Amino acid sequence: MAKDGEKSDWKEFLWNPRTREFLGRTASSWGLIFLFYLIFYTCLAGMFALTMYVMLQTLDEHTPTWQDRLSTPGLVIRPRADDTFEIVYTIEDTESWDLYAQALDKFLQPYNDSLQAQKNHECAPDKYFIQEDSGEVKNNPKRSCQFNRTVLQNCSGIDDRYYGYREGQPCIIIKLNRVIGLLPGKDNQAPYVTCAAKKYRVGKDQWKDDADKIGELIYFPPNGTINPMYFPYYGKKAQVNYSQPLVAVKFLNITHNEDVNIECKINAENIPVGGERDKFAGRVSFKLRINSKN
Amino acid sequence: MDIDDHEITIEELEMRYTTSVDKGLTSSFAREILERDGLNELKPPKGTPEYVKFARQLAGGLQCLMWVAAVICFIAFGIELGRGNLTSFDDLYLAIVLIAVVVVTGCFGYYQEFKSTNIIASFKNLVPQQALVIRDGQKNQINANELVVGDLVEIKGGDRVPADIRIITSQGCKVDNSSLTGESEPQTRSPECTHENPLETRNIAFFSTTCLEGVATGVIINTGDRTIIGRIASLASGVGNEKTPIAIEIEHFVDIIAGLAIFFGFTFFVVAMFIGYAFLEAMIFFMAIVVAYVPEGLLATVTVSFTSTITSVCSTSVICSDKTGTLTQNRMTVAHLWFDNHIHAADTTEDQSGQSFDQSSETWRSLARVAALCNRAIFKPDQEGIPIPKRIVVGDASETALLKFTELTVGNTMDYRNRFKKIVEVPFNSTNKFQLSIHELEDPLDLRYLLVMKGAPERILERCSTILVKGQELPLDEQWSESFQTAYMDLGGLGERVLGFCHLYLNEKEFPRGYHFETDDMNFPTSGLCFAGLISMIDPPRATVPDAVMKCRTAGIRVIMVTGDHPITAKAIAANVGIISEGSETVEDIAQRKRIPVEQVNKSEARACVISGGQLKDMSSDELDEALRNHPEMVFARTSPQQKLIIVESCQRLGSIVAVTGDGVNDSPALKKADIGVAMGIAGSDAAKNAADMILLDDNFASIVTGVEQGRLIFDNLKKSIAYTLTKNIPELTPYLVYITVSVPLPLGCITILFIELATDIFPSVSLAYEKAESDIMHLKPRNPRRDRLVNEALAVYSYFQIGAIQSFAGFTDYFTAMAQEGWFPLLCVGLRGQWEDVKLQDLQDSYGQEWTYSQRLYQEYTCYTVFFVSIEICQIADVLIRKTRRLSAFQQGFFRNRVLVSAIVFQLCLGSLNVNTLGYFLFRVQWWFVPVPYGILIFVYDEIRKLGVRRHPGSWWDQELYY
Repeated sequence: MAKDGEKSDWKEFLWNPRTREFLGRTASSWGLIFLFYLIFYTCLAGMFALTMYVMLQTLDEHTPTWQDRLSTPGLVIRPRADDTFEIVYTIEDTESWDLYAQALDKFLQPYNDSLQAQKNHECAPDKYFIQEDSGEVKNNPKRSCQFNRTVLQNCSGIDDRYYGYREGQPCIIIKLNRVIGLLPGKDNQAPYVTCAAKKYRVGKDQWKDDADKIGELIYFPPNGTINPMYFPYYGKKAQVNYSQPLVAVKFLNITHNEDVNIECKINAENIPVGGERDKFAGRVSFKLRINSKN
Repeated sequence: MDIDDHEITIEELEMRYTTSVDKGLTSSFAREILERDGLNELKPPKGTPEYVKFARQLAGGLQCLMWVAAVICFIAFGIELGRGNLTSFDDLYLAIVLIAVVVVTGCFGYYQEFKSTNIIASFKNLVPQQALVIRDGQKNQINANELVVGDLVEIKGGDRVPADIRIITSQGCKVDNSSLTGESEPQTRSPECTHENPLETRNIAFFSTTCLEGVATGVIINTGDRTIIGRIASLASGVGNEKTPIAIEIEHFVDIIAGLAIFFGFTFFVVAMFIGYAFLEAMIFFMAIVVAYVPEGLLATVTVSFTSTITSVCSTSVICSDKTGTLTQNRMTVAHLWFDNHIHAADTTEDQSGQSFDQSSETWRSLARVAALCNRAIFKPDQEGIPIPKRIVVGDASETALLKFTELTVGNTMDYRNRFKKIVEVPFNSTNKFQLSIHELEDPLDLRYLLVMKGAPERILERCSTILVKGQELPLDEQWSESFQTAYMDLGGLGERVLGFCHLYLNEKEFPRGYHFETDDMNFPTSGLCFAGLISMIDPPRATVPDAVMKCRTAGIRVIMVTGDHPITAKAIAANVGIISEGSETVEDIAQRKRIPVEQVNKSEARACVISGGQLKDMSSDELDEALRNHPEMVFARTSPQQKLIIVESCQRLGSIVAVTGDGVNDSPALKKADIGVAMGIAGSDAAKNAADMILLDDNFASIVTGVEQGRLIFDNLKKSIAYTLTKNIPELTPYLVYITVSVPLPLGCITILFIELATDIFPSVSLAYEKAESDIMHLKPRNPRRDRLVNEALAVYSYFQIGAIQSFAGFTDYFTAMAQEGWFPLLCVGLRGQWEDVKLQDLQDSYGQEWTYSQRLYQEYTCYTVFFVSIEICQIADVLIRKTRRLSAFQQGFFRNRVLVSAIVFQLCLGSLNVNTLGYFLFRVQWWFVPVPYGILIFVYDEIRKLGVRRHPGSWWDQELYY
């Protein structure tokens, strides 16, 4: 009995034919409620839109209001395969390294000398390329300096189409994340990239590195220097054709058939060393393993 | 009670239990019976084991949800750990916090339950330890739990009665039945059967009652759980513990919340699966939605600050009150005197603040002398400092009343009695119905003896031939007899106990000094006396009770008197305190007025009704319901405590929320059955206190009414507190919904949600408990438990879809501001989630072309959490301000009157800033506190408009939809 009662209660709640109520309200009641909420939410959305509009008006077009999250710019390597930070291939197996070469080809495409000459300005080296706005008048668009692929020499992929991968002497290209207004290095002392064996933990308080396996390195441009003329960056709106400076590292005689952990970092006086928590701020680490059958 | 052991003869009794009233049982037979019946002790009921009770606390609706959420967290953590790409321990922390919340609230709940279920423990304490038993004709001291049916036992003053006993012999045996019936007056126990009801007859002494004085032997007729008290104990544990109305409300509310949480979670689980998220991700969404939607802090808040029992009484619509001690002062007091053909009223107030009567008459002096002398009661020594009404007296109730009365009016009674040296006295007995004593006179030269007598008025009158009027002895003629009868009827009609007083100067020649008065043959005159007057006594109502009853009336609460007293007394007190209001008549009154038989009276004309226990016994439950429906003013007299249960059930059938007062052990079933059981703190037995939801410390009815008032206030405030708590669940939930559907970087994390729920918002929600009442809550009808829920539709809708919505917009405004100022414009954020959360992507471009590493983005996300958190806090401050009132403007209520609330807001702000600065992962900017402020103001202004509309247009559409 009680169950029947409940059931009919439910039915009546859903649709009460006597009072013509659906879910406890008549059509006009539902209508009023909908109207009320329509007005309510319209007003609310209006207020939201207004505050958002006001907020967006306060923003500068070219410089973010705050940049302190990016005080230590990130470092990234190319080629990047399979979303991992490992470069593993077998010399004899062409397919295993061909994708790296292709990735680098693609990445370096915009740096072709011809393209650079076409789009970008040839700047005076060894000093910042500062393009001030004169007061209210914006000095836009801003020019960008040429970074020619040929600067990377052996790693440019021009002489050696396979970037040394075929010989077991792979090139890794390192780039510094773009940050607006960043001026790395002080007193025009150019920042440079160094790579070394990475210390890693093997047990409690036991650290190890692969320094003995890493072999000889060669940097392009020489010493891994990043020329100050590529700074500062003025943002993608003002500086459409900005070419990020790159540094290539070539491993000349790395130990084969073994994992080698490598860490590269940017050296510049005014770039703080990234905190422990961010493993990619001002440095980048990766694993290199070159298998060879002989 | 199916006992007839008190009605059968001793021989039959011996036959029935194969025993002998001289020698008792044989030891071997006693052993056999012991094996058959088991030990003579109360068995604790088969309760649920403690761990099951605790487990049940951990398995409520919300708790289960939180377990599921915690398990999902663990699984997510495990999978991340297994894959080796662990980025944070958030999932693990979250799981631990969730489990901690469940366990802590579980402990609270368990403790609450624990407090209410140890009823049988106090019954255990009543079991006697040793008993004197006669077996094989020899007296032995044995453990009382080894007694068996048929055993012959001996009890003496100070013993506890070891089982239910049929008395065989008795010498002045009196027992205290208060642990059973709550009546504290000693009761005589003698071999003869005086009543068919075993509870009322004199020849049965009950298990666990105390023998006060005298000696008795008897045969055990019931042991252990089969004794009367054992049955009551099993009855009390058999009666389901009715949940208090507030507990029902909270359960109802929790069920809704749990249901909605599952509904939301599941909907978005399906949506997420449909959009193309992985199963694990969808599960995590489900978990997060549950965490966001469930008000984790609420259970703790409610348990700690609101589930005081006082909250339960708020919805009371009927109070079944005892008379003695609750409505009355529980002490006999002289109320009226009749002498010189006038009824004089005495002062019955507790503090003697009332008017006294004219004491100049000569008759009064004589009457007072009789009252003082013919009285065996004495004050206990060393009570000089204590006011007379509060002094302890040795003697029965009416003698105590007279002693206190003479002490108050005449002065030092003890000294007075010494001056009239008592020669001899005849104590009151039920055949004579009088008490007399003979005294020497105060004046040593006057050698007459004075005989003073008091007793039942009609008996006294029979013995009188003259009457004192204004100091003159007049012959007692027909006319005087009639006026005596009128006065006697009048006083009796007031429900008072009336005593007559008379005296006689004995002739000094017939009774010279040294005359030997014989009390047995009465060798002195006991008739032809001189009538002095009548004194009537009553247990007067407490001074505060009539006001309290009046308050109940205005508050729509019906007061029903349930008493063991005589109907006339009960009715008189009821009329006195206003339970039967002025002008209300019973069926009998109407019959008398119209001079027609009772059967012809239209029952609906009678507002009042007095039903005695005897009538109640013959009524069916339908008839009782009918009577309760027809007569708003009810008095139940001469009821046994068992009938209380019937009355309570009947009230509950009529849909009332019933509060019941009680003090005796056998009240405990009624107390448990009642929605709110109220035990007496002073007179109440432990079992009654355990069965009760609430204990009245001062035993005063007025305190119940105060309780109702406070309970209603707390109920209102609880509503406000819940509204406050529910509101923020929407701004906690919407980030997830937007995150799932629009794929923006997550605006608010689960840990932050828990921080809001369990830290910053707890104190403000508790502080709402200290809010003052908005209007005179005692002028409203009691809430209808089926319609006026704690959490009604209007409350939920207003909190969720209006205030909660505004809060969500505030949060998103602040979130988008923080993102945009760092370089992530709102439109870029939409759909960004996949790349944003890609652990391998270390150079994601923002709107300006800058490149961000994963960790940099993660810290930015934490900043967003903090920003959203701050927005919710700001809006919640506005929320707590608007929740202070539901109808009045916040300006009318005053902002600073609730100090606790003000300090709660300060505390909330401090805790919020602390969180921002320590857990905020650096770089929180002060201006982000101000972005949501316009929305806070909007909340406040909007609610003021709402309240204005509600006040201005009561009953309008606005009022109906927006008043919660």
